[in-house]
Amino acid sequence: MDLAKYRTIFIEESTEHFAEISRALLDLEKDPADSEAIDTLFRMAHSIKGMAASLDYAPIAELAHRLEDRMQEARESGRVPDGESLSLFFQGLTALEAMVEVVKEGGWPEAAAPALLAALSSRSGDHARPTAPAAAEATRTAVREPAPRVAFEGPAEVTTPRPPPTVRVRTETLDRFLSTVGEVILNTSQVRTSASGFETKRNAALGEGLDRMDRVVGELQRRALELRTTQLLRIVEPLPRAAREIAERAGKRVEVEIDGAELEIDRSILDRLSDPLVHLLRNAVDHGIELPEARRAAGKPEVGHIAITAHREKDNVHISVRDDGAGLDLAGVLARAVEAGVLHPDLADDLPPDAIAALVFEPGLSTARSVSEVSGRGVGMDAVRVTIESLGGSIELVSERGEGTVTSLVVPITAAVQRVLMLGLADEIVALPISKVERILEVQAERIERSGSDAFVLIDDELLPVIDLAERVGMAATQTGSSVSLVLTEIRGDRLALVSERIVGQQQIYVKPLPELLSGVRSLAGLTILGDGRPMFLLDPNQIV
Amino acid sequence: MARVLVADDASFMRQMIREIVEAEGHEVVGEASDGDEVVEEFKRLSPDVVTMDIVMPRRSGIDAVKTIMELQPDAQVVMCSALGQESLVQEAMDAGARDFIVKPFKPDAVIATIQKVLEKPE
Repeated sequence: MDLAKYRTIFIEESTEHFAEISRALLDLEKDPADSEAIDTLFRMAHSIKGMAASLDYAPIAELAHRLEDRMQEARESGRVPDGESLSLFFQGLTALEAMVEVVKEGGWPEAAAPALLAALSSRSGDHARPTAPAAAEATRTAVREPAPRVAFEGPAEVTTPRPPPTVRVRTETLDRFLSTVGEVILNTSQVRTSASGFETKRNAALGEGLDRMDRVVGELQRRALELRTTQLLRIVEPLPRAAREIAERAGKRVEVEIDGAELEIDRSILDRLSDPLVHLLRNAVDHGIELPEARRAAGKPEVGHIAITAHREKDNVHISVRDDGAGLDLAGVLARAVEAGVLHPDLADDLPPDAIAALVFEPGLSTARSVSEVSGRGVGMDAVRVTIESLGGSIELVSERGEGTVTSLVVPITAAVQRVLMLGLADEIVALPISKVERILEVQAERIERSGSDAFVLIDDELLPVIDLAERVGMAATQTGSSVSLVLTEIRGDRLALVSERIVGQQQIYVKPLPELLSGVRSLAGLTILGDGRPMFLLDPNQIV
Repeated sequence: MARVLVADDASFMRQMIREIVEAEGHEVVGEASDGDEVVEEFKRLSPDVVTMDIVMPRRSGIDAVKTIMELQPDAQVVMCSALGQESLVQEAMDAGARDFIVKPFKPDAVIATIQKVLEKPE
């Protein structure tokens, strides 16, 4: 038996099960009598147990077995789990996830905490000892009546349409395939260009063939772009549980509603949206939602409500995170901005509310009175903004004191096809998204003023910083002649001039994700393969400076 | 050589049984991931043997055995159970399942059980 193969399937399948368990636990929390959720939990735990036992991962099998038993007991007794049990189930899930993570990293999982195992079995022991069948029956009826089990009743259950058949494809395989499609597209346009001189009357067939090829390749490109997409669900699915955990630690209660998770977005964009969304959610729970007493006093339901909604408009996805919490303390934000030197005190008085709210995206500004365990850890709202903007998107925040806060993101659905400006740096050519280019101009070298290691140039009566791209990407500084080509761009609200050795031209490119080895290089947004087979990197302007 | 239909909601288990069964020269003619699907596939494929997981979505393996036995009383169904499911296995056997194998699967035991079922149909 090929153990490595089964280990991989085990990791994939149990990870999917964890997502389902998490969903079912949240359902159960909302409605403890949800027998369908209990059935799902039972099946998932049972399945994980079976797989783990087959691979001799006894600690995983043991813990899954305890969870399975608890679910079985709930199924049979019809008794609804209380808050304490639910909390225990969530802990069990977290422990299982950690164990599978160990397996994923090539290790051997250690036994679950004895206290957890004991809690999972002792509670079941406490209740599962009916003294006489009659007594058990009586208890069962009493509990069951208000919450009848519905899982296997009615024809609706049986006729539920089964999802269409799917195949599992490794991400690597898919990426390789898509990268080949990208090359086909690039080669096609090169063939088209070099054949343009031959399309004479005698060669009509060539022209027709090329037209057909264009159509088919166009279709291939559309299908390939579809394959690059993944449902938003993949990154929003863990959020309700994350919110629950953050809230629990802060003594708050919160429920998360998700709408539009079925939207499909380019995987490369989706991957980078995950951290910002988690951050927004943390902010909402930590700084938005009030403690239950405060909510009661304000006439709100004790359980805070956070809605994450997504919809598509043309080629963009709009995602908003809305909470019904306390809203932003605008006076506090203003004071902090002045204190942090982000805002001149004289300007503070006349700032309209939306401009004050926008200050939270400035670096060095955190409105949290104390840096709590979960928020204010490393990334702030400024990092969220940088990420969203480097994806070619935008972010805004609207807040109403006492009513809550809405943060809205807009990001493009695909990053795969982009028009770029190609710049030559010594032997290399790099690309810059054309959407980031304000204009290109040539200036006399002496117009660039130097002050220490910094350089500036006066354009439109504005002194702009001059940045040497070659130096930024770790190459030797650009040797300039009597005139210099400058690319004007705006990065995080500031205009600046980029210097490169030469301007090569514009082109539509098919952007491929970076190979894993380079994925940590933040200044690179992707790459494409040039006609001669060399790679050309797409720069992320937000990260260059 | 027998034509086998494998029913389990975990693709992990389906692959494992497939590998064991195919190594012995049998053919896996179909797979099902829930209790409804196994009944449909049984009707469509008329397999010689069905390996049937007990815990499956939509319809449990036990209910699926009952339906299959109504459709074809001499169907050969082997239950796949885990430790602690003795009473369920008994229920399935009463409903007409011929034998059972216990997870985690031991290839020899799986093959021996399928062989036994194939050799001595009741």
